[in-house]
Amino acid sequence: MKYQSSLPEHNDNVSHQHPVREFALLMLGVIGFILLSFWILGFFVDLAVDSISPKDEAELFAEIDIDWDFGEKSSIQKQTRVQQILDALRLCHDIPFATPVTVVESKDINAMALPGGRIVVFSGLLDSIKSSNGLAFVLAHELGHFKNRDHLRSIGRGIVLAALSTLLTGANSSISQMLTSTMTLGQAKYSQSRESKADETALQILNCHYGHVGGATELFEALQEQEGAWNFGMLHYFDTHPELQNRINAIYHLSKERDYQVGKTQSLDNSVSF
Amino acid sequence: MENLAIVAVFIALGYFFGRMAESRHYQSIHEREQAFLHLPTTSSKKPLGHIGPITQARLVQGNVVISVDYFKRFLATLRNIFGGTIQAYETLLDRARREAVLRLKESCPDADQIINLRLETSSISKGDTERIGSVEVLAYGTAIYSQQNTSQAAPQ
Ligand SMILES: [Zn+2]
Repeated sequence: MKYQSSLPEHNDNVSHQHPVREFALLMLGVIGFILLSFWILGFFVDLAVDSISPKDEAELFAEIDIDWDFGEKSSIQKQTRVQQILDALRLCHDIPFATPVTVVESKDINAMALPGGRIVVFSGLLDSIKSSNGLAFVLAHELGHFKNRDHLRSIGRGIVLAALSTLLTGANSSISQMLTSTMTLGQAKYSQSRESKADETALQILNCHYGHVGGATELFEALQEQEGAWNFGMLHYFDTHPELQNRINAIYHLSKERDYQVGKTQSLDNSVSF
Repeated sequence: MENLAIVAVFIALGYFFGRMAESRHYQSIHEREQAFLHLPTTSSKKPLGHIGPITQARLVQGNVVISVDYFKRFLATLRNIFGGTIQAYETLLDRARREAVLRLKESCPDADQIINLRLETSSISKGDTERIGSVEVLAYGTAIYSQQNTSQAAPQ
């Protein structure tokens, strides 16, 4: 037997597929899997939400006394005034539980609907709205969230998101980070669609109560002005709420479609001084 | 969102620098393998062919540590989810093995043969998933020298 010194012609120990190809395929697989499972689990959340009646919901949350700490509460006058405007809308919606309002002293221009029926309004919002119609729209928007059960949906999806993230933290941290970002994007997209739906409900309530939809876009326009001035800010209203102009446009289109009139708005300052 | 951007930048950097380093390394490996073709290296326990009286036999070794780049590591972690061959690490280990053998050969350019070649692989930062891993390959064998000069010693 002779020893022949030579080099192999091919390197059989390595694959010759391009790594970018492999990378793209695997990424597509992972992201597809995540979005699909998020979508499917979200579907089940919606199913569960639809099966809980508003009555059950009210009972469920009545027993849970969560101490929401958003900051210092505003004066009684402010609370009562906002509550009055909210209660006046009661004839125009069919939410079967009480919706108490808490006004919190804060520069934030925001309002939110909490599970159990509580609506939190940040006083910054009251400062940037001039008419009671404008405030009524914002409150009606939160009522819209209750009507569409968005608070339950968002809790359910939050749990799904947390569960999926936890599942993935077992994997490499950079990958789970990436996947969590992907899911958060999906979540934001979903939230936007819920916001549009709440706007739609709010417009309906506003038209029912005042007979016209004047003032519906007041907050968004005020925010737009401020956005121009501040550019960035702690307005976390923007995070999940679709871009302001889009929302204004959607409201215009809907008003036209449903033949809602735009009437004169009532000044908020006339009725009570904050 | 920022996380996503940071990861993307690291992956891109890892890809470009990793590719560059790898292709340079392969080029060097090819050249040096060609240059050391005259030095037979086998895993056999006995010298190959007819070789004169052996004057000297000594342990020789070549050692190399190569780091994984971010791109390769990311790709390998993705592979972990689906299973299958981790192609990203194949070239890494291939380079490490060949470099180790080349260093071993370079440590004894006047030997007639290297026999009993063994390769050992170990991963540095074993189990520490947070750090960039690297791989060590150690090649060791016995270099034998005979009375005949090198040109004749090559077993033909
Ligand atoms: Zn909303």
